[in-house]
Amino acid sequence: MFLPATRPAPAALLVVIAAALALTPLRAHAQTDDLPTVTRTYALEHARIVQAPGRVIERGTVVLRNGLITAVGADVAIPFDAERIAADSMVVYAGFIDGLSHAGIPKPKEDPNRKRPDDPGNPPDDYAGIQPQRDARAMLEPGDKSVKELRKAGFGAAHTVPHGRMLPGSGAVVLLSGDDPGAMVLRGDASLFAQFEAAPGVYPATPMGMMAKMRRLYREAERRRMIERMYEENPTGLERPPHDAVHEAFFPVLEGRKPVFFFVESALEAYRALRLQKDLGFPLALGGLEQSFDLIDALKDARAPLFFTLGLPKAPKKKAEAKKDSVEAEMAAQYDPSIRTATYRDLEAERRNLEARQRMSREKYLKNAAMLHEAGLRFGFSTMDVKPADVHKNLRLMIEHGLPEDAALAALTTDAADLLGLSAMLGSVDEGKIANLVVTTKPYFDKDAKIKYVFVDGVKYEYEVKEKKKAKAGGEAANPVGVWSYVISTPMGAFDGTLTLEGAPDDLRGTLTSSRNPGATELRNLTFDGNELSFTFEIPDGPGTLTFTVVITGDEMEGSVNVPGMGEAPVTGTRESGPDRL
Amino acid sequence: MKKQAFLALTFALAFTLTAAAQPKVGDVLIKNGAVLTVTHGTLENTDILVRDGKIARIGQGLRAPDGVEVVDATGMYVMPGIIDAHSHIALSAVNEATNPVTAEVTMEDVTNPYHIGIYRALAGGVTTSHTMHGSANVIGGQNETIKHRWGFTNPDDLRFEGAPRTIKFALGENPTRVHGKRGASGGKAKVPATRMGVEAVLREAFADGQRYMEAWDRYEAEKKRNSRAVPPPYDLRLETIADILRGDVLVHCHSYRADEILMLMRVLKDFGVDKVTFQHANEAFKVAPELAAFGAYASVFSDWWSYKFEVYYSTAYNAAILTRNGVVTSVNSDSGELDRHLYHEAAKSQRYGGLTDDEALALITINPALQLGIADRVGSIEVGKDADLAVFDGHPLSVYAVPQMTFVDGVRYFDRQRDPDDVRLFVDPEASLDDGAMISNDEHLHELEAVGDWLFHLK
Repeated sequence: MFLPATRPAPAALLVVIAAALALTPLRAHAQTDDLPTVTRTYALEHARIVQAPGRVIERGTVVLRNGLITAVGADVAIPFDAERIAADSMVVYAGFIDGLSHAGIPKPKEDPNRKRPDDPGNPPDDYAGIQPQRDARAMLEPGDKSVKELRKAGFGAAHTVPHGRMLPGSGAVVLLSGDDPGAMVLRGDASLFAQFEAAPGVYPATPMGMMAKMRRLYREAERRRMIERMYEENPTGLERPPHDAVHEAFFPVLEGRKPVFFFVESALEAYRALRLQKDLGFPLALGGLEQSFDLIDALKDARAPLFFTLGLPKAPKKKAEAKKDSVEAEMAAQYDPSIRTATYRDLEAERRNLEARQRMSREKYLKNAAMLHEAGLRFGFSTMDVKPADVHKNLRLMIEHGLPEDAALAALTTDAADLLGLSAMLGSVDEGKIANLVVTTKPYFDKDAKIKYVFVDGVKYEYEVKEKKKAKAGGEAANPVGVWSYVISTPMGAFDGTLTLEGAPDDLRGTLTSSRNPGATELRNLTFDGNELSFTFEIPDGPGTLTFTVVITGDEMEGSVNVPGMGEAPVTGTRESGPDRL
Repeated sequence: MKKQAFLALTFALAFTLTAAAQPKVGDVLIKNGAVLTVTHGTLENTDILVRDGKIARIGQGLRAPDGVEVVDATGMYVMPGIIDAHSHIALSAVNEATNPVTAEVTMEDVTNPYHIGIYRALAGGVTTSHTMHGSANVIGGQNETIKHRWGFTNPDDLRFEGAPRTIKFALGENPTRVHGKRGASGGKAKVPATRMGVEAVLREAFADGQRYMEAWDRYEAEKKRNSRAVPPPYDLRLETIADILRGDVLVHCHSYRADEILMLMRVLKDFGVDKVTFQHANEAFKVAPELAAFGAYASVFSDWWSYKFEVYYSTAYNAAILTRNGVVTSVNSDSGELDRHLYHEAAKSQRYGGLTDDEALALITINPALQLGIADRVGSIEVGKDADLAVFDGHPLSVYAVPQMTFVDGVRYFDRQRDPDDVRLFVDPEASLDDGAMISNDEHLHELEAVGDWLFHLK
C-alpha cells in the first residue's frame, strides 16, 4: 500500500520549509564539530547471521561500508580499513523497523493558559487538531530520548508521526541515527496520520464528530482537487480555485501516493477506521490494533498494512503462586462461563470467577499476534504503546502464546519493510541494503539474550552487557512532584486541566484545576505508593467524593477517575515541569 | 502434558462463549403458545414456524422440518419483539454538544456492540432499539435503528438493514441551556437562549439546507451543458439537512411543551417536511387533534416527569389520550433500565386510560415500528415478517409475567434458563474488579454532565 513517495507538492513543500525555518534557532547547536569516526567500515566476524527469517548463515561475516551492507557470507574478504569485530557466539539480524511511533519527535507541551475558542462549534483548525499539513520532518530532534531508547531496543528505522489530535500531520520514515534531522529522513511525506483523539470541548469532541469531519474534509478535498485540475488545464473563464493547506494535504492520498495511517487503540476504533475507508475509499494502513482478535475477518477483507502494538496489558497484581505466566494461563482456565451466583454468600466464588475471566481476557491479548498470524495476516509492529525496554519481554510473551519466532522476526524486519515499501533498502542482511543491524549475545528471542551492538546507517552503537545481577528492590523511586497536564475521557468528550503536586513523595499536597475553570480544588487523601498515585476531591452538591488513581511512569501518568455511582473514566497525563521531569 | 491438553480444552470451551460467530438468521418452531399478533388479535394454542429468520407459517399442528429446533411454549405467551423508539444504549458517545446544529454526525459511527445494555434489553424482550443522539443541540445527529444481535462485535452486524434514516431534533430547555445560557464548553453564549431562538435556528438551518440543495441541483443541470461546471462547496451538515427536506430522513424531536410542538409543526409545514415523531412530548395530549391532523407521531413516557421545569405539566393518560385521538403513539424508555420492562410501561396505559390489550401492546410493537419506518418488517406476528419474538411465562401486560426467551431473526439471544452471571463480551484485562462498572451512556449521562459542568466550566 505504501507507494514510493514522489516529490512533495509545491504547497506542501512551502509548509515544510516554513515549519523548518520556524525551528531553526533550536537546531543551531545540533551541528557538532566532533572528529569523524576512524573508519566507516566494519566487519562482524564469525557470527551467526540470520539474514532473514529462515535464511541463516551459521558462521559468517558481514561487512559494512559507508552505510551499506557490502558483503555477507561464510567466507568473504575483509577490507583492510575495516574495524574487525569478533562476533563469535553472537547473532546478527537486520535492524528492527518500527511501523508507527513518535520516534524523534518530542511531545509538545500543552499551553495551559491557551484561551478557549469563543465558539466551540467552530474552533480554529489547529485547536481542533486538524493539522494534516504539518510534516514530521520539520519536528525531528535527533537527540530526543525516544531515538536512543528505540535504538537500544534494536530499532534502526521508524515510521514516525507528529503528536497531536485527530489529524496531526504527515509521517516520515527515519533512520534512528545521527545528529542532523534532515539526514535522518529516509522517506518524507510517507503517510497522513490520523487517530481518534478528540479536541477537549470543541468540535469535533466525539468519535462521531471526528468521523463526520473526516468525511467532510475528504470529500471537499476531492472537489478542490477536481477544480484545481480543471484550472491547471485551462484557467480562462474559471474563478480562481480555493486554496488551503488542510485540504491540499489530502491530495497525495487522493492520488494514491500515500495512505491514511490510522492509529486505533481498540476493536471499535479499528471498525470505525475501516468504516471510513469503506465510505471514502482512501488507501489505509492501521497501527495499534490491540483487541484486533475481535475483527480478524474484517481485517482480512480490508487488505491494509497492519502494524500491531508491542504493548500488552499488565499482568494482574501478583500473588505468591502466580509469578509465572504459565500460572496465569492456568488461573484463567478456571473460568466457569456458566456460573450463577445465587446469594450474597457466594460472592467469593463469583469474585474468583471474575478474576479468572479477567485473566482469560489478558491471555487473549497475549495471543492476539498469534491469531493474526494464523489468519494469514502479515503485519509489522508499532511501539506507540510500549516502553522500548519492554519490547523484548512482550515479544517473548507473544511467542509463548503461539506466535512463531520466524513470524515475530518477520514482523520486526522483512514484513515491516515490505508493508512500508522499503524492502529494497531495509529488512534483511543482504548486500546493498542500508547497514542497519542488531547483534545479540544469544538468539534474540532467548530469555536472557542481550543486544550488544546496533548499527544504524552504518554507524556503530555498542551496549554494555551487564552480567545478570539482582535488580535493586523496587528500582528507582519515582517522584510525582511537579505540574502535570491531564485529560479525562468521557462519553461527553475529553476534559483537560492541570494537576499540581508539591511536597515529597511521602508527604504530598496538591491542587486540581480545569482549563475551563480558573478556581483550584484542594486534593485530599493523597497517597503515593511506588508508582501509584491516588487522591480524592469533592464537588459541592455533586455526587460525593471523586477518586483519582493513576500509575506514574517517568513523565506520563495513566489511570482513571472514579465518579461515585457512575463508574470510571480513563485519565492520562504528562508532567510539564517539576524537579524530576526527564 | 495431560494437564496442558486439559487447559487447551477448557480454553477452547471458554472462548467459544464469547467468540463464536452465531448464525445471523435462524430456524425454530415455537409450539403451542398464545400468540399475541398485535395486528390480528390473539391466537390460542398456536405454532410459529421460523425459517431463515422469517416467520414462515402460523397455525396449529405445524411440524418441524428436519433439523429445526422445537421450543415448547405451552402455557406461555409469544409476542412481537419489543421496539424501543428512544434509547441510548450501545453507544460510545451521545452528544456532540459543541454546536446547536450537528446534523452531519451519526450514531451509526459510534455503535458499541459490546455494551451490556443490549443483553439487558433482550432480557426484557426488546429486540430493536432506536439509538439516538442526545438533546444538547437543536438539530443533533442522525440516529440508528439496531437489532439486538448480542455477541457480534462488528457494529455493522447490529444495523437494522434497510431501516430509514432518522435524525434527532431538540426543543426547549436542553439546547437553550447548553448553548444559550453559558455557551457550550466554556465558549461564549449564542443563539438559542430562548424557545424563539430554537425556532430561528431551525428555520435558518432549513433555509441553508434549501440553498445548498438548490446550488447542487443547479450544478448538476449545468454539468450537462458545460463540462467545466464547478461544483459548489461540499458540506455534510447541509447535505444532511437537504436530505431531510427531500424526505429521506425522518425527524424525531425531543419536545415537552404543547407550544413548542405546535411551533415545530408550523416550521416543518413551511419547509414541506411531513414525517415527524415527537419524542417525550409530555404535553402532547393538549394538542392531540393537531398532531393527528398533521399526521405526526408521538413517542412518550408512561409516567415520567417533573425532572425539570418544562416537564411539570404531565399526565399518565398521555398515551391513552393520544391513541384515542388517532395519533400513532409509542411508549419508550430513554433509559438502559426502563427498557427492560417496557411491557409494564405499556400496561400502565390500561390503568390510566383503559386501552385494550392490543392497543397497549401496539405502544411497544407496531406503533414504534411505524415511527421508525420498519413496520413492514417487524412490530407484529405475521407471515413474512422478521422472526423477532419475545416469549413470556404470563401475559406480558400482567405484572407477574417474566420474559423467558427473546429471538432476533429466529436466533435465540436470550434464554432465562441459560442466563449466567457474566455475559459480557469484553473484559478490560487491567481494570480493577471493584471498579468494574464502566460509565454507560444512558441514565448516568445527565448526572455525569452535571459533574462535568462543575469541574470544567464553572461560572
